[in-house]
Amino acid sequence: MEKIILLIPSIPIVIAFLLFFVRNKELIPKVSIMLSSLLALLALSGTYYVITNDTPIVGFGGLLIYNQLSAILVPYVAILGLVIRKYATKYMWDEAGYRRFFILLNFIFSSIYLLVMSNNLIVLALAWQLLSISLYLLVSFNVGSNTAVRHAKWIMVIHKGADLIFIFAIVLVYDTFGSFDLAILSEKWLAMSHNHVENPMVFAIGFLFLMAAMMKSAIMPFHIWLPYTSEAPTPVSAVMHAGVVNVGGILLNKLAYLLLLTPSVLNIAFVVGLVTAIVASVIMLTVSDIKRSLGYSTVGQMGYMIMEVGLGAFSLAIYHLIVHGIFKATLFLGAGSLIGMARHESNLPKRLSYELFWEEKIKSKAKKAFNYLAFFTILPILAFVGVKMILTDDFFEFNASIIILAFAWLTGTQLFVSFFKASKSDSFKMIFALVSSFVLILFTYEFIGMTMEHFLYGNDGLLFYKAATLNVDIIITLIILAVIMIIGWMFMYKRHLEDASEAGNKPAQLKWLFYSFLAKEGYFFSLIKFFKKDNA
Amino acid sequence: MMIYVALLLLAGGLPYYILLENNKYLNSKQIFLLSGFLLICAIFLSLSLPDDHPDLLVMISFLSAIFSIYKATKTTSFYKLGYYLIFVNAPFFILFQDRGMMYSVSLLVSLTGLYLIAKFYEKNYGSANYGNITGITLVTPCVGTYLSFYLIALALYPPFPNSLFFLSYIFKSQHDLLSYVVVTTLFFGNFFLAMGVMKKTLFGRQNPNIHYVHMTTKEKIIHFIVLIALIVLSVFGLKETL
Repeated sequence: MEKIILLIPSIPIVIAFLLFFVRNKELIPKVSIMLSSLLALLALSGTYYVITNDTPIVGFGGLLIYNQLSAILVPYVAILGLVIRKYATKYMWDEAGYRRFFILLNFIFSSIYLLVMSNNLIVLALAWQLLSISLYLLVSFNVGSNTAVRHAKWIMVIHKGADLIFIFAIVLVYDTFGSFDLAILSEKWLAMSHNHVENPMVFAIGFLFLMAAMMKSAIMPFHIWLPYTSEAPTPVSAVMHAGVVNVGGILLNKLAYLLLLTPSVLNIAFVVGLVTAIVASVIMLTVSDIKRSLGYSTVGQMGYMIMEVGLGAFSLAIYHLIVHGIFKATLFLGAGSLIGMARHESNLPKRLSYELFWEEKIKSKAKKAFNYLAFFTILPILAFVGVKMILTDDFFEFNASIIILAFAWLTGTQLFVSFFKASKSDSFKMIFALVSSFVLILFTYEFIGMTMEHFLYGNDGLLFYKAATLNVDIIITLIILAVIMIIGWMFMYKRHLEDASEAGNKPAQLKWLFYSFLAKEGYFFSLIKFFKKDNA
Repeated sequence: MMIYVALLLLAGGLPYYILLENNKYLNSKQIFLLSGFLLICAIFLSLSLPDDHPDLLVMISFLSAIFSIYKATKTTSFYKLGYYLIFVNAPFFILFQDRGMMYSVSLLVSLTGLYLIAKFYEKNYGSANYGNITGITLVTPCVGTYLSFYLIALALYPPFPNSLFFLSYIFKSQHDLLSYVVVTTLFFGNFFLAMGVMKKTLFGRQNPNIHYVHMTTKEKIIHFIVLIALIVLSVFGLKETL
C-alpha cells in the first residue's frame, strides 16, 4: 500500500493533463491546488512511514525510492508548490496564458519530485533534462518580452551544457562501475572508500558531476543565468530561487558516497563554493538593481551550499537549501504585499529590533562601541564552540570544523554589527536580546543539522568530514584564520565606527576602480556588447 | 563498403548538396519529402548491415552534418529546416546503424509534425516561412502547443522518443573519441536549431500585419495522431533506455 507514495512524480503530470480540459478559468487553480494538497498529504504520510519504519519505500523495479532524503525534500517541495500555486491564483489572473502557466508549473514540480526520488542514474538524467526544458518554458512565459526570451536562452544554453556533462558522467559511471542503480552503486562506493582509490576515471566522474551541479546551481562562473531572470513572473522567481537552483546540492547528496572516493573533488567544491560565496555576496552589495541583487544573494547562498558539500557537511547543505528556500520564497512572495502596505504607510518596512530595543543616543561613543565590538566578535566563536561541544565533540577531529567555525564567526559578527549599527544603542536590553537570539539560532541550526545528518547518513556522516579534510596543518589553518579575523575586525571597525570623520574624503582611485568592477559584474556584459557591436 | 556508401548517400544529404541544391525543378517541399523517403530507404537498408561502422564514413557524414547545421541556421523555411535536420542527424544513424533505426523513426515522426505545421503556414500565411509569423504561443495557442511539442522533441528533450533513443544508444554502446564528438555536436546542433525556431515564431510579440488563423478540427485531429505516435514511441524508448 505504501508504494502509492512512489506515484508522487506522476501526480503533477495528471494535474497538467486535467488542466488541458478545464474550460472554466476559476477552476484551473482550484483543481491544481486541491490535487497538490493531496500530493502534500501523500508526501507527509511517506515521510511518516520512513521515520516510523526506518526503511525506504522502493518500487518500479528499483527505479524510484522514497528514502530519508526524499522524506525531507519531497514534503518541502510539495508545501512550497502549494504556497506558490495559491499565490499565483490571483497574481497571474490577468496574465495571458493563465492555464499554460499552471500546466508548466506542474511539469517543473514533477521533474523536481522525479529528481529527488530517482534511484537510477538514467531516471535522474531524464529528470535533470525535464527540469531544464520546463524552466526554459516558464522563464520565457512572458513571450512578448524580448529580454525575457533572451535571458531564458542563457538559462537554456547553460542548462543544456549541464545536461551533456551529466550524460557523459553517467556513461563513465556505467563503464567504470557497471551499474546505473544508485543503491547498488552507493554500497559499492562505500565499500571502496575503505581503501585508497587511485583510478583517475573516478576523479573524472566526480568532477563531471560537480560541474553539472555547479551549472544548475548557478555557481561562478556559470551563475550568469540566475540574476537576470527576474523578469519572469514572481511565482516563477520563487520556484527558481527556492527550488530549481537547489538541485545541484540535491544531486551531490545523492552521490555523496561517490565523492567519498574523490577527496580532491570535494576540495575543488570547497574552493569554488567559497569564491562564489564571497564574490557573489560582494557583488550583491554593489549592483544597483534590487532584483539582480536578490539574484546574486541566491548565487552567494548556493556558493555556501557547495562549500558545505566541499567540507563534507552534506546534510548541512540540505538544511541550508531548505532554510534558504523558505527565506527566499518568503521574500519574493511577500514583496508585493509589502509594497501595497508601504503605499498606505510611509514608515514601512519596520524592523522588529527598532520597535523593541530602540534607544536613541545622538552621540556615538566610538571607544566604548569598539569594546563592545571586540566582545561581539569573540562571543560568536565561544557560543559556536560551546554549542558544538555539547552536541558532538567528534566534529573537532577534522579541520573542516575550523572553516565552519570561521563562517559561524562571520555570520555572527555580521548579525551583531548590523543590529548594533542600526540602533546606535548599547543598552543591556539590546545586548541580552542579541546574545540570547544568536545562541538560540545557533543551537537550533546545529541541533537540526546534526539530527538531519544522523537521519540521512547514520554513522557514515563523519566519513564525509574525514574525506573532505584539507591537507593543511591545523596550526597553519588557525594562524591564517586568526589573520583573516583580525583584518576583518579592523576593516569593520574602520568602516562602521570611523566613517563619520571620513565623510568628506573622496575614495582612493584603486578602491573606486574595484567598486566599479564589482558594480558592473566584472564588465562581463560590457565585453559581450563590445564584441556584438564589433561583429555588427 | 558499397553498401555503406549507399547509406551515406541516402541519409547524409550528399545528393542534395551535389545535385538538388541548385535544381530548378524541385521545390523545398518536394526535397523535404524526397529526403524523408530516402531516410526510410536507409532505415530498411541498415537492417541488413552488421553492427559495425567505418570511421571514414562517419567522418564524412559528420562534416556534412556540420555544414547542414550552418545552412539550417540561415533558413526560416520549415521545409528546408526539415531536410537539414535529417542530414544533421545522419552521423548518429550511421554510427549506430540498425540500433539507430528507432531514433531515425522518431526523427521522421517529429518531422512529420513539422511538415504538417509547414503546410498549415503555407495554406494560411502564403508560405512555410516562419520569419515574420511571431508570437503564435499567445495568438494561436493550439498551433503553438503542437509546434512546441515537435521542437522539444527535435531539441532532444525527454519525454519525447528522440531523446530517449539517443540516450539509450549513448548509455549502452562502447565509445571512442569520434562518438563523443558526434554526440556532442548533435546534442547541441539539434538543440540550437529547434531553439532558434522557438525564438523566431513561438515567442515574440504578435505581428499586426498578419491575420492569424486557428487550426481546424481536422488539423487538430491529425496533429493529435502524430502526438500519440510520439507518445507510443516514447513508451518503447523508455523501455529500451531503462
